[in-house]
Amino acid sequence: MREILLVVEREVRERVWTRSFLLGTLLFPVFVLAIVLLPTMMGDAPSRELTLIDEAPAPIAQLFVASLNQANGAQPDPAAPTQRRRGTVRYHVAVVAGPERAIRSDLTARMDAEQLDGYVVLPADVRETGEVHFRSTRPSDPGVLRDIRMAATQAIQADRLARAGIDVGTVAELLRPVTVSTGRPDAPGLNVRSERSGFFFGYLVAVVIYFVVALYGSGVTRSVLEEKNNRIAEVLVSTMRATHLMAGKILGVTATVMLQLLVWAVVVTVLITQSGWISEQFSIDPAILNAIAAQPVATLALVAYFVLGFVLFASLFAALGATVSSDQEAQSFQMLFMLPLFVPVLFIVPLTSRPLDPLAWALGMIPFTAPVAMPMRMGAASIPARDVFLSLILLAVTCVLVAVLAGKIYRVGILSTGSRPGFRELLAWIRAG
Amino acid sequence: MSDALRLVDVWKRYAAHLAVRGLTLTAPSGCIYGILGPNGAGKSTTLRMVMNIIARDSGAIEVLGRAPDARGALRSVGYLPEERGLYRRMRVIDLLVFFGRLKGMSAAAARRDGAVWLERLGLADWRGARLETLSKGMQQKVQFITTVLHHPELLILDEPYAGLDPVNQEVLRETILRTRAEGGTVVLSTHNMNQAEALCDAVCIIAGGSKLLDGSVREVKRRHRGERYRLQLDAATSTPESAKAIEDGLQGMVARLERSAGDMCWDLDLNGRPARAVLETIAGLPVQLERFERLQPSLHEIFIQEVGVAARHAAKVADA
Repeated sequence: MREILLVVEREVRERVWTRSFLLGTLLFPVFVLAIVLLPTMMGDAPSRELTLIDEAPAPIAQLFVASLNQANGAQPDPAAPTQRRRGTVRYHVAVVAGPERAIRSDLTARMDAEQLDGYVVLPADVRETGEVHFRSTRPSDPGVLRDIRMAATQAIQADRLARAGIDVGTVAELLRPVTVSTGRPDAPGLNVRSERSGFFFGYLVAVVIYFVVALYGSGVTRSVLEEKNNRIAEVLVSTMRATHLMAGKILGVTATVMLQLLVWAVVVTVLITQSGWISEQFSIDPAILNAIAAQPVATLALVAYFVLGFVLFASLFAALGATVSSDQEAQSFQMLFMLPLFVPVLFIVPLTSRPLDPLAWALGMIPFTAPVAMPMRMGAASIPARDVFLSLILLAVTCVLVAVLAGKIYRVGILSTGSRPGFRELLAWIRAG
Repeated sequence: MSDALRLVDVWKRYAAHLAVRGLTLTAPSGCIYGILGPNGAGKSTTLRMVMNIIARDSGAIEVLGRAPDARGALRSVGYLPEERGLYRRMRVIDLLVFFGRLKGMSAAAARRDGAVWLERLGLADWRGARLETLSKGMQQKVQFITTVLHHPELLILDEPYAGLDPVNQEVLRETILRTRAEGGTVVLSTHNMNQAEALCDAVCIIAGGSKLLDGSVREVKRRHRGERYRLQLDAATSTPESAKAIEDGLQGMVARLERSAGDMCWDLDLNGRPARAVLETIAGLPVQLERFERLQPSLHEIFIQEVGVAARHAAKVADA
């Protein structure tokens, strides 16, 4: 045990006291903040100059202009204090009378001179046709088109309701959506879901697992390869069991990863709780933290998926490092090993929209896909505790089996030189290990 | 005196090659023991089995009285493999502390003794440097320190002189001798017979995975000394007539009489005739005798002779 801890300590020290780790750990949050802050610091939010050719009956044009700046959360009055969302566009709208053909050339010239972004035509028969026109000489920004469509829709709907003698506020109140809280009467399922952030959180955990395995897994392979190629392995294996050496290496890398993630988690938690502005920028509901705190078992399960998943793949990568003889050879196999983790990403839609269907269930039970699939499912719905525990047990058992097999391959492979073994030779290694 | 290392009928086969065939040897405690053999003789394979790096197919191995695969059996052993390598990104002192602790030392003791060794081998200024910034020779010295840092009772050195310059060879020789002086045992493999003869108390010569001979160097040389003598006349008083008197007097008495390096020097092969009779003959001649001694074969000659015989035997077996 002492020697495993020594190897863990060495691995952690070798990785943590490097410029890349320190920069990655400390600068990553700064980098993310910079991405958020820079657009704000670099000047005003984008604005668009539009002309509205008003041929429609009153008060559709007024309603349209009012809706346009509210459509994306911006206030019509630029002076009004407001929390603006990222990407919010402020519209300056000049309303002129038609017809369009009388002023088209003038407007086109202004667009060519970059004084105008485009013009909107509200035709006289817009009530009947429900169709407005947007003309621009420049490629249209999808966000601007969406805002114009929403503003026009709201304006026409409000006008129709008013003509029918119905109050808009009353309709909005009557049509307010209903929320459905989910769960079982006997055992509440395990999830980490809050109304807005469930998908985000599950997706985040899955992405982090995938990338951490990709980045640090290759580190395990490289490290084993180094020990094999420069023969340190011989000296180490004469002092300790090869399987202990492998275990120490994998646990050391796992500890390094956890340390880095812990730093990031602390930074994110502080930012979310201390600044409503930050959570608004990232569309993260601070309630997610409450959800995590309120679901300690589910959170622990997620951590278990992360750790077991990492150890499972790190064992494979360690065995790979002991089997190949060069970095290039290792890289060609690493992608193959990563494929099972990519499968849940391919099925992200069924996993998150129908997380209780057989497909999602199966991906959650297969140990090689579970570390990514289960966080996705748990982010999307309450997964029965029985399923979570069964999946974790399967993952843990597979983890142990793979670690033992990898240890046997490692034991022989790390002391072998020459060409890469074939499948039959690998089996012989496993029997001999 | 107990034995530091014992191998009894040890066999090891690789896929298509029998690397070690029934090897039996004993290295007594407190000696320097050489495992000698040509390239591919099975020296490294033997030492790797001793260090439990590879498993033997059959036979028994005892290291300091215990099986090498017993828990902690190799903790008092220092091992320098033939192919050297270290963690290139680690700092020198951190590396020494890591290996010292792996062998059971406390971090403080490993740091303290490591500093002493670095001083002794002229590397004190490099203790904080990363290994990758050191020259190859310096890295070899650091690796040697990792081998001896924990005061092992048994040092196992596989081709320790390979790649060392003469200065570092001398440092290594002194360290080996000091280990013996302090009661430790050194087992080293080499194919450099001159170094082995200068250093080893006992040797085992192997070829093709089999033992050809073993024993103390004195005993091995005694067994191979044969009937060869050297006779030398006093150069100051000898004349061409003295030489003629010797050659005429001994002609027909010995099997071979060969004028050797010096003018007044002959190598003789007595061919079973007692040395006393030869001396009596010389005493009756008008010559002044300077030296009359039995020639000892060098380890190099014994090695060439034994390995040559083994190779010829193997070739005959293959032909048959």
